[in-house]
Amino acid sequence: MSQPKISIRGVTKTFSVRDANLGRPSQFTAVSDIDIDVRAGEFLTLVGPSGCGKSTLLDLIAGLTKPASGTILLDGEPITGPGLDRGIVFQQYALFPWRTARGNIEFGLEAKGVGRKERRARAAEFLDLVGLSGFADRYPHELSGGMRQRVAIARSLAFDPEVLLMDEPFAALDAQTRESLQEELLSIWQRTGKTVVFITHGIDEAVYLGQRVAIMTSRPGRIKEIVDIDFETREGDLRADAKFGEFRHHIWTALRDEVAAAQAHEREAVGSVG
Amino acid sequence: MADVSLDRRPAGAAAPAPAPADDPAPVAEAVVTAKARPALNPARVLRGLGSGVNRIAAIVLFLIAWEVLPRLELVDAVFLPPFSEVVVAWQELAVSGVLWNHTQASLIRSLAGFAIAIAVTIPLGLILGWYKPVADFLDPLLELFRNTAALALLPVFVLILGIGETSKISIVVYACAWPILLNTIAGVKGVDPLLIKSARSLGLPPYRLFQKVILPAAVPTVFTGIRLAGAYSILVLVAAEMVGAKAGLGFLINDAQFNFRIPDMYSGIITISVIGLVFNALLLRLERRFSTWRTTQ
Ligand SMILES: Nc1ncnc2c1ncn2[C@@H]1O[C@H](COP(=O)(O)OP(=O)(O)OP(=O)(O)O)[C@@H](O)[C@H]1O
Ligand SMILES: [Mg+2]
Repeated sequence: MSQPKISIRGVTKTFSVRDANLGRPSQFTAVSDIDIDVRAGEFLTLVGPSGCGKSTLLDLIAGLTKPASGTILLDGEPITGPGLDRGIVFQQYALFPWRTARGNIEFGLEAKGVGRKERRARAAEFLDLVGLSGFADRYPHELSGGMRQRVAIARSLAFDPEVLLMDEPFAALDAQTRESLQEELLSIWQRTGKTVVFITHGIDEAVYLGQRVAIMTSRPGRIKEIVDIDFETREGDLRADAKFGEFRHHIWTALRDEVAAAQAHEREAVGSVG
Repeated sequence: MADVSLDRRPAGAAAPAPAPADDPAPVAEAVVTAKARPALNPARVLRGLGSGVNRIAAIVLFLIAWEVLPRLELVDAVFLPPFSEVVVAWQELAVSGVLWNHTQASLIRSLAGFAIAIAVTIPLGLILGWYKPVADFLDPLLELFRNTAALALLPVFVLILGIGETSKISIVVYACAWPILLNTIAGVKGVDPLLIKSARSLGLPPYRLFQKVILPAAVPTVFTGIRLAGAYSILVLVAAEMVGAKAGLGFLINDAQFNFRIPDMYSGIITISVIGLVFNALLLRLERRFSTWRTTQ
């Protein structure tokens, strides 16, 4: 087997948090002992109950934070920090409010050292891709939530990273826009052979996009199960395939227990404070 | 730099606009009003009221009252001459060039102090804001100085620097420095960590991060400080000019009062009010221009 693009081994991430009961900082384990490989060119979707540590895991892969223990390898090399080889779409978009939609998309290109003319052209291309050609000169606060999300997607695609880390990138979109962007993303992925790690709360979306779906447990997040989405063919309407329903049901069942556990956790946390 | 992932504010909460130095009536101003302004200060009274048409209407009403009350002898016309008489006196001062000489003297001092304060404190504030431990360490001291009314230090300045231009410009520099410095620090410290994280994810080295994220994010807050400083530069100077000056609007007002040229005194006051208004309006426009991207709801 060839070398995985991303290799996560025994990764645990803890945060220091104030503890009301103890009155001093304590360690909070967000994800624990994560083991997963992402193959080069793979589309991996990641599902799990809210608060289980999906975004935390993405930050770790991005190199924005360091694990408390364990290792993360990118192309066999330990990750030392963030880099332009990985593009992130943050859950909260994180657009620069003083830059227009175009300016935001150009940001990554500037970081990469792309010349002014080509930046313009690329930005226009990707604005068009996400259906925002007419909004190039709008500031983020002049855009709707879904539009901002699309700008963030365009920004991460524009500088052409090998790995795309996407944190619920389509959450704020209407069904039609979401479907068309799902198509776009799949076609970009197929065309460019990028490796994609895609977090979502939508089981349908996870099955539809992912070659594999990784299911995380409730907090502290671990990988509970990895489901291979092995359709015989990806031609035609996947969602109408009988297997689609099976995958869907399988993941739904696995998640139900975790969500219940997560909710029990959170109630506990609230109870202990109040 | 701290682990930026520690904050998970939603994007909507970007630009939290922290401006601790943004309280419009700190001690220094109060002192000016109490000590140095014998009669009504038209600008101050007016600034608080309404806006747009209302504002003009209110000013007109105020001026009518100023005209009528002394004429009806409801107030002593010796101490408050009717507005028209003040206008005549103002014209005479303007035509003779006296008014311009004083205005020029004041403006040069104000602008020099203001410019020096900007040139010194913005870089300083950027550095202090960036190195959080340093800022946290110095913060109590900065608060202490900020709350020490500039005019309370005037005798110290005079003692050390004499009564010449140096001490006058210095006191303006001092008064202007604090709002700019504190706002710059707050601006740099208040940058949304998510934006820093977003820029860091692109592998930006620290100096690029500073240039491309911290600076633009801090600009509106810095400008708020500059605008406040602009107001202080005039307020403080006028008071300083009442002590041992031979020119300047503060001197004109004081001198006129001393020699009982009451209309001249009011002419000086009106001139200062107008300068203050114009200066503030200019800086406000500048501030707006640099913060159009800020959500202003
Ligand atoms: N900087 C931090 N400091 C302390 N705790 C944190 C921090 N970031 C995340 N956490 C905690 O870690 C856990 C995982 O958070 P994370 O954001 O990764 O969840 P998630 O799976 O992305 O949830 P969601 O689906 O709601 O986005 C949560 O319980 C959260 O409270
Ligand atoms: Mg998340």
